[in-house]
Amino acid sequence: MPAEQAREIVVGTLEYVTDLRFPGMLHGAVTRSAIPHGRIVAIDTTKAAAMPGVRAVLIGADVPCNRLGPADVDGPVLADQRVRQVGEAIALVAAVDEGTARRAAEAVVVTVEPLPVVADPRTALSPEVPKLHEGGNLAGRIGFASGDVEAALAAADVVVERVVGTGAQEHVAIEPPGGVALWEAGQVTIWCGSQNPGLHRRKVARALNVEIDDVRLVAGPVGGAFGARNDDPMPVFLAVLAKAAGAPVHMRMTREEVMAAGPKRHPFHTTVRVGFTEDGDLAASDMTALADTGPYVTSGPNVLKTSAEMSVGPYRMPVARFDGRVVYTNNANAGAFRGYGVPQVAFALETAIDEAAARLGMDPVELRMRNLLRGGDRHGLYGHAVTPGLRAAETLAAAAADEWWVSRREWQRAARGPWRRGTGIAMAVKGVGLGSGRGDAARARLICDINGHVRIWAGPNHTGQAIDVAYRQIAADVLGMDPARITVTVGDSQLVPESGATAASRSMYAGGSAVAAVCERYKAALAEAGGPARLVELGRAEFEATFHLPDVADPGLIPPKRLGDHAPHLVYGCSAQVVRLEVHELTGEIRVAGVVCAVDCGRAINPGAVIGQAEGGVAQGLGFALMEEHRLDGGRPLTTSLENYLIPTARDVPEIRTLLVEGDEPTGPMGAKGMSEVVIVPTGPAVAAAVADAVGVRPARLPITPERLLEGLR
Amino acid sequence: MKVNGVPVTPPDPDARLLDYLRDDLGLIGAKEGCGMGECGSCTVLMDGVPVCSCLVLVCQAEDADVTTVEGLRRTALQEAFVTGQAVQCGFCIAGMVVSASALLAEHPDPTDEQIRAGLEGNLCRCTGYGAIVRAVREAAR
Repeated sequence: MPAEQAREIVVGTLEYVTDLRFPGMLHGAVTRSAIPHGRIVAIDTTKAAAMPGVRAVLIGADVPCNRLGPADVDGPVLADQRVRQVGEAIALVAAVDEGTARRAAEAVVVTVEPLPVVADPRTALSPEVPKLHEGGNLAGRIGFASGDVEAALAAADVVVERVVGTGAQEHVAIEPPGGVALWEAGQVTIWCGSQNPGLHRRKVARALNVEIDDVRLVAGPVGGAFGARNDDPMPVFLAVLAKAAGAPVHMRMTREEVMAAGPKRHPFHTTVRVGFTEDGDLAASDMTALADTGPYVTSGPNVLKTSAEMSVGPYRMPVARFDGRVVYTNNANAGAFRGYGVPQVAFALETAIDEAAARLGMDPVELRMRNLLRGGDRHGLYGHAVTPGLRAAETLAAAAADEWWVSRREWQRAARGPWRRGTGIAMAVKGVGLGSGRGDAARARLICDINGHVRIWAGPNHTGQAIDVAYRQIAADVLGMDPARITVTVGDSQLVPESGATAASRSMYAGGSAVAAVCERYKAALAEAGGPARLVELGRAEFEATFHLPDVADPGLIPPKRLGDHAPHLVYGCSAQVVRLEVHELTGEIRVAGVVCAVDCGRAINPGAVIGQAEGGVAQGLGFALMEEHRLDGGRPLTTSLENYLIPTARDVPEIRTLLVEGDEPTGPMGAKGMSEVVIVPTGPAVAAAVADAVGVRPARLPITPERLLEGLR
Repeated sequence: MKVNGVPVTPPDPDARLLDYLRDDLGLIGAKEGCGMGECGSCTVLMDGVPVCSCLVLVCQAEDADVTTVEGLRRTALQEAFVTGQAVQCGFCIAGMVVSASALLAEHPDPTDEQIRAGLEGNLCRCTGYGAIVRAVREAAR
């Protein structure tokens, strides 16, 4: 079923948040740091404020509570003592037009005394390296061992060790962040893309020292998210500036600003050791990970929590250990990004399994299959029981049954000239929701009118995945009604009860369950009252429901008090992917010829949307694997625009065959579960496996650029 | 200059065509995703040829026939984008539809390679292009 707004979009009439215009509206711009690290000596706004057309110039001291979160390490709204990365916001300007605002922002004179730059996360914890925060450069650590890993590895017949790295990926949502804020009678409405309207309301209320009820966030329509609109400070900038200027303010970031200051996928340095018996049974795994969160904490420790849990993949693991650290540097601030710490660790684990298959002389599918978790099994690290709805084996079997995998040797033999051919396969798993012990919940509200028309307000929000359509489909199914007689609204914090983030693969599972629950309540009341008109007459036409995501019933090895620290999941989605590609042995160029994406999505409520998410995730995964890396030199960005940070075009992305491995998730709405993140995870290791199949070199770093590949071939 | 068939007189010859269309004429279909001709979200037709309107000054288009997504004849193309679920966040779609309409004008029955080449200048981050390519193929039928 198509997205609600698609008809307006194809004729160009839908107003996105950055398209909105109000009478008397001003335009905002940001003064940003040009250097990665320094002490702010002085900020002189005199010249900027005196420019004709400028209505307000703000610095950190003008923000009532100059913090983006509860702690100092969350970073300031506007840097006032120190700058810690290139692009960090220092001042805000509002002016009569965008050009004037940008010129005035340039005219703000910031005197900064440069400080030594912390550029290498591997040395960030050394005592001689400057501390970026009072507490030092360690932003978080998560460690867990399920037993004596060293003994298990010593007893294993084959041990593979891999030292790998993955780069900082930029989201490149096509709409750069922006929107409008409008104050009326002490209350502010902010139209700005957000994956988490509730969180953004709290950030705005904190910064301006106002009540949360005085902040309304309308979080769409927005041009893409992928995690970038979770930690985005833009709603705060808009609210602060509009208040100071006493007029509605519109602001949008340029692509160059997004490249420098927008969040990135955490770059990881990862070491893994995996032990097997000679029969190919997994004996142990041991992973050490180092993540670079840049100057502020944002999602760092939470990302690492997911990395820890998924460090063992969808496999049975007799003994496992994970030790991860996330550190502060003066590199680009990292944040949430589709996959949330899993693509990095899956690349390490899956390529190690391929290496083991080669050493054991076993087929990579057979080796995985004999070690895969089945539904109801215990998790490889934490030992908790996973959902019986896990279909890892079925998913791998579906991918491996595809003709592109089956006929890979014939296809390889048909290679011509310098183009060598290879095919790879990889597997991944990702939890649905925030995990156990986190109090994760979503809510829905329903009102019926006397004619039985149903209106539903529910979250999480739509940022491109047509989640509102799925809510409507679920409601229609529960109520046995024509979907045309149901209206669904998402993304407006005034109307939608707090439902948490459009993140963590939770929107369908959590939001859909809340919608199903509120519809059940309505249905029961309807049956009792005898019809919608009677409910209205009785004043009982409004319903609310909350869905609490279930925690694991048995936390396994995790002490019950520490459940939320590790946040293990009950429900997981899986994906297995086959990549076939050609490598030019002289230039190192790689052409991807096709991808098979099998995905364990529970029941697909809107199959067209699920396929769209799978194809989009694979394309983003191909970018991560082959071309995308936000690069810096000494904290200074080298990839500054879409001219030198390239993402896949229609020509770079091949045919993607999506195979929906359906089967009900017992706890999900109509049997559904989340799937939009896991599809980005296997792509990188499957590409690496295909490269190894083609040219015999197993890449240790993503992206696999021609330069890196040639270096490996020499 | 004509925009969607209507004669217009832009006040500022040095303005970017994209800003003139959006800010003066209120035609918000063309979007700005990069401001340097890399993403294609601002694609419009100039005398039938797709251009990035962020790279065109109004004075360069003074004798041109400019067509924006709002001025395209409603066709099977847009319908195929909707029913084929080729629209996710939709921010790139106006540019895609404009490029695809130029492609179909040149190649009424394009091969997949021609479709991908014709849309190469339009970045989409949501769909992975699969549904978009299928929609263009469907519209050509």
